[in-house]
Amino acid sequence: MKNLDTVWIVIAAYNEAEVIRDVVAGVRKRFRCVVVVDDCSRDQTARGALEGGAVVLRHPMNLGQGAALQTGINWALQRGASAIVTFDADGQHRVEDVDVLIDLQAQSGADLVIGSRFLGHATDLPALRRLVLKLAARFTTYTTGVRLTDAHNGLRLFTRRAAEQIHIRQNRMAHASEIISQAASRGISIVEAPVTIVYTEYSLRKGQKLSNAFNILAELLVDRLSR
Amino acid sequence: MIKTMLISGLLLCLAYAFLQRRKSRTVSVGISLISIAGIWFVLMPQHTTALADALGVGRGADLVAYFWIVISVFVMMNLQFKILGLQRDITEVSRELALRTPVRGEPGNGADPGHPQADPPALEPN
Repeated sequence: MKNLDTVWIVIAAYNEAEVIRDVVAGVRKRFRCVVVVDDCSRDQTARGALEGGAVVLRHPMNLGQGAALQTGINWALQRGASAIVTFDADGQHRVEDVDVLIDLQAQSGADLVIGSRFLGHATDLPALRRLVLKLAARFTTYTTGVRLTDAHNGLRLFTRRAAEQIHIRQNRMAHASEIISQAASRGISIVEAPVTIVYTEYSLRKGQKLSNAFNILAELLVDRLSR
Repeated sequence: MIKTMLISGLLLCLAYAFLQRRKSRTVSVGISLISIAGIWFVLMPQHTTALADALGVGRGADLVAYFWIVISVFVMMNLQFKILGLQRDITEVSRELALRTPVRGEPGNGADPGHPQADPPALEPN
């Protein structure tokens, strides 16, 4: 088992005042090092995160979830993290699943562990969302050559080695595919871990719109053309 | 009169392309070629019709319009990539600012006292 004191939990948050305090407090019961990157929220997200017990970094302007995660990862690397776990702010992840990721990393030796709701459970997952997520996983498999069941799960573990090699350039939602793509091109080993996603009325309301799938495709295309 | 104005404008484009040669050789060469072709066709308008016939377009004016559309798309894509570059610069500056001004959470309030907060954040040198 890893030393949990060197595992950093990175939470990107934008207008999550309603739930962020409880989410952070829940994570802090198990993990000492939690950083919340407030992506220039217009509500009291930063205050909630502070009350929950996190270190809070605040972007001076709204940049997107990908940018916020990279900021948190940079922070964790500067603090000497041995592993970094990204965790969604809307309360859809379970803290105990972080241990599943840590244990699987220790067993497999992989440098990137991705949570999969389709290997685990997804409670109250709407049918259309399930279909879009499955198609997204197929698309990622096709473009990266990495066979995944769930490419857009916010619960991931990077070893320090992986975090140092991957640099998220996709500021918004296309970062999930980009992480897999960069890992594949740098020879970073990837495994999937079964996790549970708890869909609530709040997380469905706050989560990605299905129409974002088209934005993600466009962002990935423009990024590929711009290289 | 109109020929003088058009050629003056295209010469300015050539001068701009010359100034840009160190920033982007591709853009510089592209603007230069387009400007030279423009000057040529302003001086020899009958050549646009001959070229249009050769390409099966019909009229010289249509050929110019098609080229204009292609060039506009190219310019728009170039601008889009420049905006992307600026966004990346803004992201790096914002990230650096955020990393230099952390705020530490209060212990308690749901956090387990057995897990004290991480070391107080310190400013990192570049």
